Amino acid sequence: MFDTDTNRNSVFAKFEKLAERMSAVSAVGRSPFGMRFDDMLSPTRARIGNEEILLAGTNNYLGLTYAPECTTAAKAAIDAHGTATTGSRLANGTYSDHLDLEEALKAYFGVASAIVCTTGYQANLAALSTLAGRGDHLLIDADSHACIYDACRLSDAETIRFRHNSPEDLAKRLSRLPDTGARLVVIEGLYSMLGDVAPVAEFLKVAHAHGAMLFVDEAHSVGCYGDHGRGVAQAQGVLDQVDFISGTFSKSFASIGGFIVSRHPALELIRLVSRPYLFTASGSPANVAAARAALGVIARDDQLGKRLWARANQLHAGLIAAGFQPASPPGPIIAIERPDDQTAVAEWNKLMDAGIYVNLAVPPATPQAKSLLRLSVSAAHTEADIDRILAAFRSL
Amino acid sequence: MTLANSDTFEKISAILKAHTAVTVPITPDLLIGADLAIDSVQMFDLVMEIEDAYDISFPIEEASGIDTVQSLVEAIERLKNV
Repeated sequence: MFDTDTNRNSVFAKFEKLAERMSAVSAVGRSPFGMRFDDMLSPTRARIGNEEILLAGTNNYLGLTYAPECTTAAKAAIDAHGTATTGSRLANGTYSDHLDLEEALKAYFGVASAIVCTTGYQANLAALSTLAGRGDHLLIDADSHACIYDACRLSDAETIRFRHNSPEDLAKRLSRLPDTGARLVVIEGLYSMLGDVAPVAEFLKVAHAHGAMLFVDEAHSVGCYGDHGRGVAQAQGVLDQVDFISGTFSKSFASIGGFIVSRHPALELIRLVSRPYLFTASGSPANVAAARAALGVIARDDQLGKRLWARANQLHAGLIAAGFQPASPPGPIIAIERPDDQTAVAEWNKLMDAGIYVNLAVPPATPQAKSLLRLSVSAAHTEADIDRILAAFRSL
Repeated sequence: MTLANSDTFEKISAILKAHTAVTVPITPDLLIGADLAIDSVQMFDLVMEIEDAYDISFPIEEASGIDTVQSLVEAIERLKNV
């Protein structure tokens, strides 16, 4: 597929094995790493060539990407404020719409401060790399998303991993730390690959008992869990005690962007020192407007969440009935572990042949080097859509 | 006492053997990545096990600079005295 230069001084030489692996996967059929949708038809349908594909791997949990509230707001924002801000938040990139979205997030979560970023990835980079500095300690779940690992690399703090979803293991590692330096524990509400939920309330207890603050990335869980989608921390009754929450607008909020919110007013200070926040252009008017509109829908109407959970329960139960073992209890992310990469790739191709798109997830992007077929459910899926997905799985 | 027969080396050799599919005698000069086929993700898991074995904190930033078995043993000795 790629003619990598094997000269050891070439910048491409290190990718030789990667290229071989990509070629092997693509030789089985379609390339899962180069998916191209020729036309998007709805939150759950796309066209590839002449085929209409049912989408079951988009993270479009509430199906709001075509909601009239969001599309109308985005179009109006372009007409009113143009296609881009062409500057960072601290320079010329803060419009009244960015501030309005921050106020709406403060009201939605009931917190003292909110910062809107350009992507979810940037939100974690901006917050974690700045909140934890030299001499401080970051304690991260072993299954953390890549952006959390990258944030740790950007921070001058020391990073300690604890075993996935284990408050007991966190307690052990916190107790080994020296008395000096601040401590920040980082977990995710819902883990993106296996779809498992963190025991946030238990982590909170352990963190605060050891003098640490708790940061919860709710990128996948906001919109799906808790009262009107306020996330796992809210669902577990600790939203008012968690120190920081981050999230993205690129999933349930049907846009692109990210946010950090906190009960601590001092979060505002990082705007002046956070390099990922300072040195990136702000979110475009259309993206900010779509996210604000989606937030309005989510805060006002809980029917989408109910529909999402009905479809998630239907899919989860159907997969078990078909002989598959989902990695986690029912939820918007349902992962099916396969014995190896080859099986996962072959089955992914069979599903595509049946007109069903799911995510193929293989190491190193997966926890414990698992090979996964990963499905994400949408409130826009119908009962018949789920039946069709299940029929395709039964024929594997 | 040389590094090759120190208690830490013995203990680490046993842990490394449990983490690698490569069946070669563990020596100080072995490269953890190239010779033992332990990748960066597995190295992070190894670090958690070492933390528990020695009751120490082993920041992953320290692990990033480790290439040989000897440098791993030296890092543990250093962290035990922090």
